[in-house]
Amino acid sequence: MAETPPLNRGGGPPAPPLAFAEEAMSHLDTLYRGALRLTRNPDRAEDLVQDTYVRALRYQHSYQPGTNMKAWLFAIMRNLFWDRFKGGRPEDLSLDDDSSDFALYDRIKDESAIPEDQVLDRLAAHEVVEAVEKLPPLHREVVLLVDVEGFSYKDAAEVLGVPIGTVMSRLHRARQQLQRTLYDYALESGIVGAKDRAAS
Amino acid sequence: MNCQECVDRLERFVDRELSTSEVEEIKQHLDDCPPCAERYQFETSLKRLVKVCCEQETAPPVLREKLRQILF
Repeated sequence: MAETPPLNRGGGPPAPPLAFAEEAMSHLDTLYRGALRLTRNPDRAEDLVQDTYVRALRYQHSYQPGTNMKAWLFAIMRNLFWDRFKGGRPEDLSLDDDSSDFALYDRIKDESAIPEDQVLDRLAAHEVVEAVEKLPPLHREVVLLVDVEGFSYKDAAEVLGVPIGTVMSRLHRARQQLQRTLYDYALESGIVGAKDRAAS
Repeated sequence: MNCQECVDRLERFVDRELSTSEVEEIKQHLDDCPPCAERYQFETSLKRLVKVCCEQETAPPVLREKLRQILF
């Protein structure tokens, strides 16, 4: 990977080591969960997080105190992930584009005998996590940043090194895929598809 | 704003990525349009569900200790 992390380069004095370490540690749970989603494997997630912190320590001079450390750490981790586990730059990959529109809300409205919000309540947490982890990595990482971590499109674009428009289009397609998977789970578990039977 | 225009902007509205004037337009439409308001509630609930479900785990203590030794 590039030897310099992509965010917060230049300017500003280096953070005092203790403050830097404490702030970095405050993001550990977040980083670990992100690593779990990316690698889908606890051992690999631990390795990825450890390598991320080692690299962050090495490049702490490039972190500008007061800027978004979580985004900076995620950028390092994400680049390591693609280098270590995917064997290359994600920019070289093309996504299989299933361009057909899918809206879970519409499907539930049409097919479920129970209200939309109750359908969401009945989905198991592990099914939602599985649905996220089933996404292709380029889609998974944008859902992770925007939906789970609450990054703005702009910050997500910086972490991923892509234009904001790319974040938006990936996010849109990722959510459609995610909703399609959740719909399949809801069908399998009988949460939706009951309207006809209830009416008959 | 009509329903289609609202649906087209809903994702960015849920993500808080619209300009102030666009936000006002959407809010006005949602106030006047129960079906779009219901869709908005659903999309918001779904986004929250993904977040909550993906925030369950914490880092293993062994990893935390290892990093403490590296960082401090």
